[in-house]
Amino acid sequence: MTSVPAIDTYLGEVAASIPGASRARDDVLAELRSGLLDAVDAHRSAGLTAQAAAEAAITEFGDPCQVADAFRPHLAMTQARRVALTLVATGPPVGLLWTAAAMASHIMLRDAPPWQWPGVPPLAPAAFPVAGAALLLTIWSALATIAATGTLTRWLPNRPRIAAATAATAGFGAAAADLAIFALLASQLTNAPGALAPLPVAAATAASLTRFTLARRAARKCLAIRATLT
Amino acid sequence: MRAETLKGHLDGLLLASLETGPRHGYAIMEALRTGSGGQFDLPTGTIYPALRRLERAGLIRGTWSEGGGRSRRVYDLTPAGRRMLAAERGTWREFSAAVTALLEPAPQPVTP
Repeated sequence: MTSVPAIDTYLGEVAASIPGASRARDDVLAELRSGLLDAVDAHRSAGLTAQAAAEAAITEFGDPCQVADAFRPHLAMTQARRVALTLVATGPPVGLLWTAAAMASHIMLRDAPPWQWPGVPPLAPAAFPVAGAALLLTIWSALATIAATGTLTRWLPNRPRIAAATAATAGFGAAAADLAIFALLASQLTNAPGALAPLPVAAATAASLTRFTLARRAARKCLAIRATLT
Repeated sequence: MRAETLKGHLDGLLLASLETGPRHGYAIMEALRTGSGGQFDLPTGTIYPALRRLERAGLIRGTWSEGGGRSRRVYDLTPAGRRMLAAERGTWREFSAAVTALLEPAPQPVTP
């Protein structure tokens, strides 16, 4: 990659004003670099020295903070969309793993709804509605985020702050659903550990634990990006 | 011309600059500058976020391509972008005709 010191400094200033590492940020910075080098070439063709051409290119591109500010909405919406798409894509597999774990543990085969099982864990009546509500909130927020950050922006105004907030809600919702399931699992383990099929339950727990960690981190990142938007 | 003056028209102008074929960001900026006789001289750095916004809306498509020893992100109009450009053009014609009629009224015929 061509390196021009003055341009590296300029890009460093833009980068410093765009917090957080992401592929979208790298992509934006790479595009700015190639544009700046094009500008340098254009000014050199017009007869400027290498240094004067680099300075002219930088002046032409504008204040680095202003450029960074202009990119922030795009980066926030890209991050929000990525989080929402990941949650929508990973939700069904995690749900299927828990369904498989429940079926393997013969829980689903009983004739009563889950909260009326004989020997039901004490937390079940509270954990099921919490998990259900959290999942509904996640699905709704994730779908709203996806809708608001895609081609609908052709007609709708761009609302990066709202998109970052709904994506964060979806992330925290997924984490809350996982927590409710963990509470239920812990309750079942203390109440009747023998009823659980170890391997399917371990697989579902690992999947949920991973999602819990990543969803919470992603949600926090969305909130951090949202805080940089004015 | 200041960026504020262009506000509301920038999207249409960016789409129009891609009508004849794909261009990378700096070439789009040069097309705006030379096509306007130097009137539209925006900070080049702010063109790129506008391009990303149009890409998100599915009006243009950006892809990285190699050329002249450098990677460049090249943009192309999508079918939706072409339709939007045609609509913008129609709106602009109506608007500019109305503004011209008001700001530059035709001389009144002299009645004897």
